[in-house]
Amino acid sequence: MRISSNTIFDSNVSAMTQQQARLIQTQQQVATGRRILSPADDPVAATRSLEISHSDSINTQYGANGLAARHNTSLAETALQSVTSLLQDVKVAAISAGNGAINNSDRRTIATGLNERLQELIGLANTTDGAGSYLFSGFQSSTQPFVNVSGITLYAGDDGQRAMQVSASRQLASTDSGADIFMRIKNGNGTFATQSASANVGTGVIGMGGVTDTALLTGDSYTLAFATLLTQAGTPNAGTASISTATGSNPATHYTLTFTSATTFDVTDVSAVPALTVLAAQPYNSGAPITFNGISLNVQGTPASGDVFNIAPPIDNSYTVTNNRTGLPVAGMMAQPYVSGQQISFEGMQFDLQGGPAAGDQFSISPSVNVSIFKTLSDLIGTLNTPVAAGNVAQSTALTKGIDNALNNMDRSLNNVLSIRSSLGLRLQELDALQASGESMGVQLKQTLSQLQDVDYNKALSDLTQQQMTLQAAQKSFVKVTGLSLFDYLG
Amino acid sequence: MGTNIYTSALSGMNAALLGVSTAEHNIANASTPGFTRQEIILGARTAQSSGAGFIGQGVDVAGVKRIYDEFLTTQVLQEKTQASYLSSYHMAMQQIDNILADPVAGAAPAMQDFFKAVNGVANTPDSVPARQTMLGNAQFAINRFKSIDQRLTDIGNGITGQITSSVNIVNSYAQQIATLNGNIKRAVAAGQGQLPNDLLDQRDLLVSQLNSEIKTSAQAQPDGTISVFVGNGQAMVIGEQAMSLRVAQAATDPSKVEVNYLNDGKLIALQQSSLQGGNLGAYLAFRDQSLEPARNALGRVALGLAASINQQNQLGQDLNGAMGAALLNVAAPRVDKGANNTGISSVVATINNVAGLTTSDYQLRFDGTNYSMLRLNDNAVTNLGTSLTSPVNVDGFAVSLSAGAMQAGDTYLIRPTANAARDIALLTTDPAKIAAAMPMRTMTGAANTGTAVMSSATLNTSPMSIAFSDPLLVPQTYTVTDSTTNTVLGSGNFSTGAPISFNGWTVNVVGTPSTGDAFSLVKDVASNAMLASAAKTNVGGAVVLGGKLNLQQPFSVTFNAIAPPATLPTYTVTGAVPDVSATPVSYTPGTPINLSYNGWSAQISGTPASGDTFNVSKNINGSGDNRNALIMAAMQTQNLLANGTASLQGGYGQLVGEIGAKTSELAVTSLAQDSMVSQTVQSQQSVSGVNLDEEAANLLRYQRAYQAAAKAMQIANTMFDALLTIGR
Repeated sequence: MRISSNTIFDSNVSAMTQQQARLIQTQQQVATGRRILSPADDPVAATRSLEISHSDSINTQYGANGLAARHNTSLAETALQSVTSLLQDVKVAAISAGNGAINNSDRRTIATGLNERLQELIGLANTTDGAGSYLFSGFQSSTQPFVNVSGITLYAGDDGQRAMQVSASRQLASTDSGADIFMRIKNGNGTFATQSASANVGTGVIGMGGVTDTALLTGDSYTLAFATLLTQAGTPNAGTASISTATGSNPATHYTLTFTSATTFDVTDVSAVPALTVLAAQPYNSGAPITFNGISLNVQGTPASGDVFNIAPPIDNSYTVTNNRTGLPVAGMMAQPYVSGQQISFEGMQFDLQGGPAAGDQFSISPSVNVSIFKTLSDLIGTLNTPVAAGNVAQSTALTKGIDNALNNMDRSLNNVLSIRSSLGLRLQELDALQASGESMGVQLKQTLSQLQDVDYNKALSDLTQQQMTLQAAQKSFVKVTGLSLFDYLG
Repeated sequence: MGTNIYTSALSGMNAALLGVSTAEHNIANASTPGFTRQEIILGARTAQSSGAGFIGQGVDVAGVKRIYDEFLTTQVLQEKTQASYLSSYHMAMQQIDNILADPVAGAAPAMQDFFKAVNGVANTPDSVPARQTMLGNAQFAINRFKSIDQRLTDIGNGITGQITSSVNIVNSYAQQIATLNGNIKRAVAAGQGQLPNDLLDQRDLLVSQLNSEIKTSAQAQPDGTISVFVGNGQAMVIGEQAMSLRVAQAATDPSKVEVNYLNDGKLIALQQSSLQGGNLGAYLAFRDQSLEPARNALGRVALGLAASINQQNQLGQDLNGAMGAALLNVAAPRVDKGANNTGISSVVATINNVAGLTTSDYQLRFDGTNYSMLRLNDNAVTNLGTSLTSPVNVDGFAVSLSAGAMQAGDTYLIRPTANAARDIALLTTDPAKIAAAMPMRTMTGAANTGTAVMSSATLNTSPMSIAFSDPLLVPQTYTVTDSTTNTVLGSGNFSTGAPISFNGWTVNVVGTPSTGDAFSLVKDVASNAMLASAAKTNVGGAVVLGGKLNLQQPFSVTFNAIAPPATLPTYTVTGAVPDVSATPVSYTPGTPINLSYNGWSAQISGTPASGDTFNVSKNINGSGDNRNALIMAAMQTQNLLANGTASLQGGYGQLVGEIGAKTSELAVTSLAQDSMVSQTVQSQQSVSGVNLDEEAANLLRYQRAYQAAAKAMQIANTMFDALLTIGR
């Protein structure tokens, strides 16, 4: 084929230009460490590496979110750990306060100590995250959640729980509402609370009880009342006085209440032979209870001299359970014979009643209400600060009841705090697992990214050498070829 | 007889002399662009008849011819046009290719940093430094979008300059070809059949250079001139007359120029599709098929980011306890009135659904009766009905006629995302304005005795539609339907202008809707207003006036005991708009209760007791609430674009991929085309190119021929001398 002289130059120059371009490309790859210098070098890998670095960035972000969640969760866990040991200490103190051997001043000392613990508890409940945000105030992180206003600790936060995105599909709660930890602790057994009426004179003690069938629960309040003493006005009484309530231990004895004037009365045991005067010429005040031999009478109105009231024991020692909402007795619970220690069940609830309840004694069974840890503690302090006069059965019963209530509520509080702590522990565990998987994912992503966009130095350097050689060969041969000319031989 | 030898030798010497000068001409022009080697054409003179036969008379030089192959030259022209097209396109593409996927300078890392900062706010919503970082990183991402967009605009301006200069070059070449046509015509006429080879070479070179700019076709005429045509057969050169091209603002799009053909003082626009090949074709194709779609795609990502973050921020509550406002500026679609419109009208377009947006531009048309929308990248046509008084939806935006009336044939160019990357901006510098919290929270009543719990309230702002019943049936009623789930949310009696409230929003419909008329409502991406758009089939004259969203209306739920004879317990909702407190709702114990009022949804599960209350109330002091920030952070991975098929990063990645693939394709085809060119040039040069060795040989050959002819003359002289000697 005929070759024009220009072609020799042109084709060689363009070949060398291409060689140089390739050489520079390889050199740039080596210099930057990147295989893809612009998306055009490998559009598929370039798009893919954008995706991968996006995933990597998100993965790193989840890791950072996990750290933030861990920070809050660990702080909460530390605070609640202190709360737990504080509650355990309080429990020990409450038990020691219940010891019959200690006196009023000992109890006051314990109460003073407990007051310190209460303040400490409020401090713990107001823990901040180190940056001034409260841990247990729900969404209102800049509002102090627990404020003691004249002895009552109120919750100023809300139910909010801050979640953090710790993996693509998992939003992990990093805070817990103070209301859930400290405020919403149900009293009683958690479903219903039993309580003896304060006016009870007998020694009947009602148990905490439990739920036997949740489907039957109504959420209503009930009153369990023992049959009252029988009272009867003399016929005819000239005055307008009447007995409004009569309660008392079940006597086998009949009494008469005789007004000797409009302002004085006698009480006589008429079962005794001969009749025995129990009270003589006592002053009468309308509405003031008249108590004798374990019996308490409430007489109101104006009696006339010579008016007589007969007091007789109830027919039997039975009780009736009434639904407070409907005012009707609960089916099957009317005039039930009382056996000490027997389980009493109705409408899904069961509890026991022990001891010797007096006629007219009442016990309430109502749905559990929330009692905050602070209230339990301040109630206990109040109970311990109340002096108990020696031999005063009512006061000592109130003390025992107060301490029992406090212990019960304290147990429930402790359980609540522990269950929150176990949830915190589970979250920390989950964070550990997520962190581990996130890290290994990060390594994988970085590896893939590196494979996609980083230069393989072995290959690149070998390419570089090869291209260098080719270019050199092209240059040398070009000089040789263009050096050939017939004109060299002319003349 | 002696004279015969003389003449014969002289003709040989003459021919050799011409041969040498042709060879020298070839040598001298060996590197002249477009030069075609020449050869002398020799022919033996007619022999003289004599008794001894025909006696040779010497040599005649018939002419000098170009060694020229028409076919190969045409092929070189075609390949070069294509090569210059590909290489110009490739060079232009490389400019955008380099800026998009840079791991430091591209938009992808900036968006990642922004979402990192959003996560930071979600983790510590009450931290002002975290919020400040989010604003700072937002500004950083905005700057990246803006600077990439600016770069693309600069490239576009550069391309406009190149189009102009390319058109000038085309005009100048056309003029030069016309001038040469004249010279050649006269030279051919004067040369009595001899061709002016060097003029032809010059003209061929000009045609070749013209072809580098624009694809042409040439036709040789009998008088030696050529006619050159461009585009769809528009003549650039006829004989000695040259036409010209003009660059002018495009009639449909004032933001760019188009190439026009000047004919009798009138401009005829040349479509980009008819200007394939050459630099000019490359610039136009690059601008229309790569640069503008790239800007639109970048704009779509920027708009998706701005609109989605805005939308969510407006649904939240900021650090000051106020409802969030727009954080970022969302550019409105660009609307350009057609230059040839006869009607006096104006049209507005509003973005109402980021997911529906494409990267295409649109043309709104009116045929006298119906409005239609042409999507320019695939020529899909959407019929918009006969009225544009109320906005009508197309692909994520709504158009409406804001004033005047369109005449048949009027058009508007609508570019939904073209300005988005340019106009994205941060609207606040106050870190407290980031709405990390939600405006409402749920609270369980403190005295509740039941075990029921209420879930965190979630927003319920999915698009809705209102449909109307027959106006002749009194009272006319409306029905509100959730457009996502197609469930009926509520209904009521319609009276014109009376507010219709549901899920926190309130709108007023004015006028008389006809049976089946419907309006769809979505929340505006830029404000707390509701955007209403009319169904394409609406016939009534009703329009939606105003509309606002109020997400801070508290409501509470109170549980009631079973009231015989009913067998199921009920709950009463107070505070709902419209009020429903008079009608307690019954529920089945043990089944979760789903509530949705005032734009908020929540679920109550567990066993509520009679008298228990649950409140959905204002989130006062909710500085530690991060629910809204979590939703914003999750937008990083949500498929917000392309009908829910691409995330923001995905949309950007798609852009990078498309540009990369096109550049890579051009790099390969351009390289292949270069080798095609060098092959055809080689073939053409092997015929027409000068080989110096060959010319050296020719020099020697003609030198020898000259020497030989001179010797013959000497011999003749000697012979003549001998003859004279005889006579002496």
